[in-house]
Amino acid sequence: MNRSLVILIGALALGAAIFAGSFFCARHTTMSCCEQPADDLNWLRLEFHLSDAEMAHIRELHEGYLPQCGELCQKIAAAKQELAALTNNSPEALTKQNEIAALRAQCQSNMLAHFIAVSQAMPPEVGQRYLTEMKKLTLGDTGQMEQSMSGDSAHEHQH
Amino acid sequence: MNAPDQNLTALLRANRPAPELPPRFRQNVWRRIEDVAAPATETWLDALAALVLRPRFALALAAGLLLAGMLAGTLDGRHLARHDAQLNYLAAVAPHAVR
Repeated sequence: MNRSLVILIGALALGAAIFAGSFFCARHTTMSCCEQPADDLNWLRLEFHLSDAEMAHIRELHEGYLPQCGELCQKIAAAKQELAALTNNSPEALTKQNEIAALRAQCQSNMLAHFIAVSQAMPPEVGQRYLTEMKKLTLGDTGQMEQSMSGDSAHEHQH
Repeated sequence: MNAPDQNLTALLRANRPAPELPPRFRQNVWRRIEDVAAPATETWLDALAALVLRPRFALALAAGLLLAGMLAGTLDGRHLARHDAQLNYLAAVAPHAVR
């Protein structure tokens, strides 16, 4: 093989190793530096650069909201288990489905109310950004699905 | 004693086999001589290899790659950390049962 080609391939491999090594080291260091897995609110601190006072207020709201959310989630999980035990298309199953839907709606409503309360605890522009982001993240998927099912593909549902 | 030896030598010389040369032997010999004598032509690959082997250039290149890797790694790490933190927050406030 040509000597120059061997030198260039060796240099390329060495360069790639240097780049990859420094890339992974820096990524690992940054991730371990920024991460605080125990704190649910770490994202708000990283993303919205909130002051300590704002964070304290939001933490209070967050801790007040979690028990309500947990209670409703337990009810939903229990209703889902009961629904699984029932026969499909029976009146009891339909009632249970409606119950789950009502619980989910209540849970979602609480969640949105919490997002609004949190956004109001932030500076106005940041709060608006937070609210938009949270709506997109939590309601975005279902909204997209509903839009796709009610739009062009609606004519395909003729059963 | 020398006379028979001389005869023998003359006889051997006369009978020395002269093998046939391959075709264009003389031209090929001259061509190879010219190839060796002419200066080697340098390709872009050789020029690049020579550049890479220069210590200053190699050091600068290694430092550049190191810095670029660190910068890219830091940016990627921050992005990943934010993404993980976002997932943690979402899991706390918006369980999958609701979404």
